[in-house]
Amino acid sequence: MDSKINRRDFIKATTATTASVAALGAGITLTTYVNANENPVTNEKRWGMLVDTNRLTESDIDGMVTACQKENGWGNETHSTGDQKASWIKKIKVKDTATQRISNLALMCQHCEEPPCVDVCPTNASMKREDGIVLVDKHRCIGCRYCMMACPYDARSFVHEELTNQKEHMPRGKGTVEACTLCVHRVDKGEQPACVEAVDSDAVIFGDLLDVTSNIHQTLKRVQSTQIRADLNLNTGVRYSGI
Amino acid sequence: MNRFMVLLLSLMMTSVFAHANSEHTLGTQADSMKSSGKTYHQSSSMIRKMHPEFMNHKRDKTLRQGVRTEEYSLKGCVSCHASKKDQSNDYHAIDASEQFCSTCHQKVAISVDCFGCHRTTPAEGDK
Amino acid sequence: MSIIRYEQTQGKSLGFYALIAGLGAFILAALGGVYFMEHNGHHVTGMNNHIVWGLPHVFALFLIVAASGALNIASIASVFNKKIYKPLSRLSGLVALALLAGGLMVLVLDLGRPDRLIVAMTEYNFGSIFAWNIILYNGFFLIVGIYLWMMFERRMNKYSRKVGIAAFIWRLILTTGTGSIFGFLVARQAYDAVIMAPMFIVMSFAFGLAFFVLVLMASYKWTERPLGDAIVNRLSNLLGVFVAAVLYFVAVYHLGNLYLAENSGVENFILMDGGIYTQLFWYGQIILGSLIPLVLIYSPSTKGNRSMLGLASVLVILGGIAQLYVIIVGGQAYPMELFPGKEILEGYGAIALYTPTLAELMLGLGGIAVALIAIIFLVKVLPFLPESLADNVADPHHKS
Repeated sequence: MDSKINRRDFIKATTATTASVAALGAGITLTTYVNANENPVTNEKRWGMLVDTNRLTESDIDGMVTACQKENGWGNETHSTGDQKASWIKKIKVKDTATQRISNLALMCQHCEEPPCVDVCPTNASMKREDGIVLVDKHRCIGCRYCMMACPYDARSFVHEELTNQKEHMPRGKGTVEACTLCVHRVDKGEQPACVEAVDSDAVIFGDLLDVTSNIHQTLKRVQSTQIRADLNLNTGVRYSGI
Repeated sequence: MNRFMVLLLSLMMTSVFAHANSEHTLGTQADSMKSSGKTYHQSSSMIRKMHPEFMNHKRDKTLRQGVRTEEYSLKGCVSCHASKKDQSNDYHAIDASEQFCSTCHQKVAISVDCFGCHRTTPAEGDK
Repeated sequence: MSIIRYEQTQGKSLGFYALIAGLGAFILAALGGVYFMEHNGHHVTGMNNHIVWGLPHVFALFLIVAASGALNIASIASVFNKKIYKPLSRLSGLVALALLAGGLMVLVLDLGRPDRLIVAMTEYNFGSIFAWNIILYNGFFLIVGIYLWMMFERRMNKYSRKVGIAAFIWRLILTTGTGSIFGFLVARQAYDAVIMAPMFIVMSFAFGLAFFVLVLMASYKWTERPLGDAIVNRLSNLLGVFVAAVLYFVAVYHLGNLYLAENSGVENFILMDGGIYTQLFWYGQIILGSLIPLVLIYSPSTKGNRSMLGLASVLVILGGIAQLYVIIVGGQAYPMELFPGKEILEGYGAIALYTPTLAELMLGLGGIAVALIAIIFLVKVLPFLPESLADNVADPHHKS
């Protein structure tokens, strides 16, 4: 019997039955699915973040970095040298050359609407979800690093060594490229990204840019904000005010 | 004809042993589930043959579209089919030799590409 | 001009086997380096998150660029109908294919996941210039393969001009594509320039011809076949013109960049205070790779001297590798302009450091060895080389 199942025929023949069996079996095993996202995300949402550098303290930023490391399990690579270690989010201190004003900010993947990394990726591994989150599909990533050449924000890291004991929700592995996922696994559960949660004040807010009732939408309407390298017209999902 | 029968019988024998082998490392949670009479998969022959297709299909939906149902999620496979070590409360890596994935995959000499990136044991208690 | 007779090389001498063994050792070393890199991960290389493309990519792109340039000899013969280059067409096609194979090998073996190469063949992002390059490289193999067949098969000779034109157009597109890998990177000051594509084309003319000249002179010398001055002097002049043209494009590129205030930082870095990159630019690329070869080619005291032409070709190749090192590694070492009008005090903005390792160097050299070994084998198996290129055979204007 086993040997007679041909995979392709099997799929054709059993798509219908699978559905009905699944429905029957739902009583026992599928109960936990109820609250899970069964439907694909859509472009009715666009996730974004607003960082207010006037209120963000340096220790806030350190907290964001630590929270990201803890949540996603990067930064404890043992063999990689400084520049080879993963760096999904980092603290940046800038001084205006004219006014000498100093601002501190956290820099991570900006989740562009027109991401250069997605444009250049030969295998569609770099991708943007319908809701605006830019991800690396590591199943397809061949490790060519062209996306790292193309990213204007120095946001991506290449895994330079073999890893074990990854976080269950955040697979990472040697030879592939990775970056901030906007904590997609949390966002899909209705939670906030780890770095946003780590800041006590509302110096960093997260939400749906398109939702007119959301805090982030209303704040962006009210205060002046900028995108880093706005001249590139990438329309980033992460915005900054106060720089 | 006799020779044919011998051949057939020995083939059946090996398949019986292969079966027994894979049951040996079904995994801690899957074992207890089975002994309590519950089933998770519709049929084991189906999942044996089809799991690559199921999982490839699912992974694309999860990663690229945000569909996060438990069915055919790799996390699900690992949480049921990883086995605990005899002495401690820790788990064996599911892709380690003689463990759930490798018993068959070693036999058919097909490498498993999942665990270069994915965690090989169920998550620690804190999550 | 008499009929050209092509003949395989003997390939039985001690020298032949020594050459094969030597190149084979390089290839083994390259494979060893690859195993070392892929087994441990790229942390054993000098590459990092800021210098993501290092020495292997310098060699790979050099070979790929040179490959399309090596086809020029055949193109000049069939597209522009210059009869004197006709006997060299077969070898030109062969050198082009061999160099491309070597370059692609290096590129592929440096991937983070070379085992997933099949994904690059099945999952195309048609918006990616990189994916287009994969198609262009494969197409190049196909078209040049057909072109060679047209040249080898007498009944097909009549089509060779048409296929030659197709191959010529394809190689122009291919090098444009290779140059555009960098030209389309808007975020990086060193690369965001349209002139990258035509500059790569002119570079390919020079590098490919230099390689071709070396292969031609070596194979005729080692097989003791006659090679007349008519051909060698023509190639020598052509090489001089191409090297001068590269210099011109390099000058325009840097002057253009200097004119844009936003790019003056990276220009200062490359031209003035970039340490190793500045040295490689001035000493390697400009003096050693361009000016000295021009002197060797045109100065009355060295003109027509084959050793000097060989030396000039070697210098052009070394200069080309230096040039690609400056473009690829130097362009990444200089930080991107994240906050125009602001100074980054912490977190980003230092010059990225890169120290190539032996494994990377061996992989790069292995690519050259693969190209050479492919040429050496194929000229033994198939009649690529005319048995004589003496002036009375090869030169259509020869007066005896």
